[in-house]
Amino acid sequence: MNYRFQFGVVWENFPQLLEGAWLTFQLGVFAFAGGAIVGLLGAAIKTYGPWPLRLLVDTYVVFITNTPALIQIYFLYFGLPEVGLRWSNEACLLIGLTLNAGAYLTLILRAGFISVRVTEIEAGQTLGMSLIQQIRYIVMPHIAKSIYPALANFFIVVLVMGTSVGALIGVDELTGQAINLSSVNYRWLEYFTVVAGMYVVLTFIASIGLALLGRWVFRVKARIF
Amino acid sequence: MERILEQAPRFFSGPNLTLLFESAMLTLGMTLAGCLIGFGFAFVLVFLRQTPGLWALPLRLVCITYVEVFRRIPFIVVIYLVLFFIQTVTPDASLFTIAVIAICLYAVAYTADIIRGGLESVPATQVEAAQAMNLSRLQTNLRIVLPQAWPVIVPPAIAFAVSFIKDTALVSQVGVFELTFRGKELNNQGYSGILVFGTIAFCYFLLSFPLSLLGQHLEKRLATPRGERRTRKIRQP
Repeated sequence: MNYRFQFGVVWENFPQLLEGAWLTFQLGVFAFAGGAIVGLLGAAIKTYGPWPLRLLVDTYVVFITNTPALIQIYFLYFGLPEVGLRWSNEACLLIGLTLNAGAYLTLILRAGFISVRVTEIEAGQTLGMSLIQQIRYIVMPHIAKSIYPALANFFIVVLVMGTSVGALIGVDELTGQAINLSSVNYRWLEYFTVVAGMYVVLTFIASIGLALLGRWVFRVKARIF
Repeated sequence: MERILEQAPRFFSGPNLTLLFESAMLTLGMTLAGCLIGFGFAFVLVFLRQTPGLWALPLRLVCITYVEVFRRIPFIVVIYLVLFFIQTVTPDASLFTIAVIAICLYAVAYTADIIRGGLESVPATQVEAAQAMNLSRLQTNLRIVLPQAWPVIVPPAIAFAVSFIKDTALVSQVGVFELTFRGKELNNQGYSGILVFGTIAFCYFLLSFPLSLLGQHLEKRLATPRGERRTRKIRQP
């Protein structure tokens, strides 16, 4: 193999890659936050709701978790303009990812809801706790302890696997920037090696942040590796 | 809406459906080939990672780094890296091979952790007993640990394979003629996006849903230890 690596071009355009990484991070955080809201609603309905709503949530979860995120986003991107909804690339990506993450988070959060025992809530009621106190002191610690690792893990999945799909519909996040830049001078291998390294660094920062957050706020020992 | 109704008969015609079926099979084949080969390599990786002794420390570090790094790189970046790397080495490798290699690399990283979890779930006393009987490490793993670890390994491994059917959609980007690529092509032919991508999503659903049901069933069945299942049968008339 007589390929000579030339990383010089990559370092010249490094600021652009950093911009992409920042956009990746923002998209990841927003998609995860949106997904968490959807997931919280879904999990609450799945646990406590009436059966027609439960059926609705079940259908939503089954359909979303069994189809690729890319197809869902393509559906929004190529399908919705026919109905007259014209969203920007970023909006399509964000809404698609939110819907996608929402389904997975419904499953994860439901596991947390189930882990709370009814007797413990009753004990709280006996002690005269208000609903907010019950949630704060009984439900939250349970949920945090049982699903924090899964949540932290899923955040990394959204941050990496989720946002990188955006490159295929023209969002200039990290992968998108790499594709744009490397199609100028065909230094694909160099650009993507650097980008892979940037993803590793980005997710390590996120993992360490999440582990510290879990330790301080929820008193959970989350693993970084 | 009228556009979809008007296009539907043309869209669901024979040639289109055969092509859809072919590309669905390609998606499935790619996933199965990649995941099975990856699963095999993952066993080797875990075996190497568990090598005892100080001299094997670099080996263990390499294995751990591989798993950690590949779990943190998006699949699409891996695909591009594999594509351009393979093409600089052998310019005439087929796109299917490249896709399978990319899936393989990724599957090794993910299934290695599943396998390690399974192997570590076997009680240490079993391994110690095997050592006391002078079995080698390979023999211990093959004859003592693995048969007991299967029930822990298989359900998450199937869940992983199912999730990978969906991730192979990204391979369309390098031009493998699978479901997503076919969908983009049909869309370019002027068929309505809602119709095309709705159908493609449904195809993926048909591939992945039965497999995920199988995974859930196995999880329930294998999660109960053998003795427990027997007592249940006795108690429930």
